[in-house]
Amino acid sequence: MPDFECQLKKYRQLKDMTQEQLALQVGVRRETIMRLEKAQYNPSLKLAVDISRAVEAPIEELFIFPP
Amino acid sequence: MKNSFTPSSSDKLPSNKPSSDNPSSRKKALAVIVSGLVCLALDFAASWYAVAYNDSRLVAPMDFSEYAFTAKDLPMICSITLTCLYIFFLLFLIVRTAFRNQKQVRQTQTTRKISPKLGFLGFLGFMGFLGFWTYSQNKDIQPFMFFMFFGFFGFFYEGKLSNTFMDERFRENAMKAQLESLKISFAVIIAAFVLLGQGALWGSLEYNLIAAMIVVFFSLALFLFLNEYLLYRYDHDEQSEA
Repeated sequence: MPDFECQLKKYRQLKDMTQEQLALQVGVRRETIMRLEKAQYNPSLKLAVDISRAVEAPIEELFIFPP
Repeated sequence: MKNSFTPSSSDKLPSNKPSSDNPSSRKKALAVIVSGLVCLALDFAASWYAVAYNDSRLVAPMDFSEYAFTAKDLPMICSITLTCLYIFFLLFLIVRTAFRNQKQVRQTQTTRKISPKLGFLGFLGFMGFLGFWTYSQNKDIQPFMFFMFFGFFGFFYEGKLSNTFMDERFRENAMKAQLESLKISFAVIIAAFVLLGQGALWGSLEYNLIAAMIVVFFSLALFLFLNEYLLYRYDHDEQSEA
């Protein structure tokens, strides 16, 4: 299980997007977004960047890894 | 850069039905089955004719070096030719479908469309037990390879994931499933070979080799099945948790 905190849900809701819409925008399945929001999936750098651009939030704020 | 393909909904695409469920495909499949049955009926009729009116020529084993054509051979020759053409046509269909599936997978980034009902082909694996009979009759060990067909049970699970968009998590799960199934299959082969290597199986090298062959075919079947089963479990379990 990846050891990080994910703020994706918060930023997604701020953008008023559904999981489905975000999934469509970044080209993954809705389940992948679901797993990401629960911090149960460690995304590739490309997906992280795509999501960061989609929700207009910096990657380091979306995915917080403890030092 | 965004992916060129975007999935329409969660995991399945709108047309998630295997092509075999379309009415036109069903008609085509029915036509192929009926053609096969016609060929079979013609073979039976020609065989009956040859046995009843042609001294069982081309039915009973005969020396073809002394073969001379007679008009009465025509029904048998025609039925055999038709059956061969039918088999070639079937092979052509299989190859064409395989290429089309590959193209579809590349273009749409979705898993191939197949019906879970194909999983019933796994029962063909039981034909492997024929090997024990053929070996006792004429030392023929080839039927043992049918044990590999048990792997077709994996179609049950591949069919359930048919036409699923393959995003990066799906691909990771697929690799994980493949690695795990390879590990298990190799572990089974190694364990079996270590045991067989003791030479303790009825003290016969021949029996040991046959047992080794059976183990290899079973392991291949296990790999084919586990590959699909584990992928389904990884994908399904994650969705259940979510």
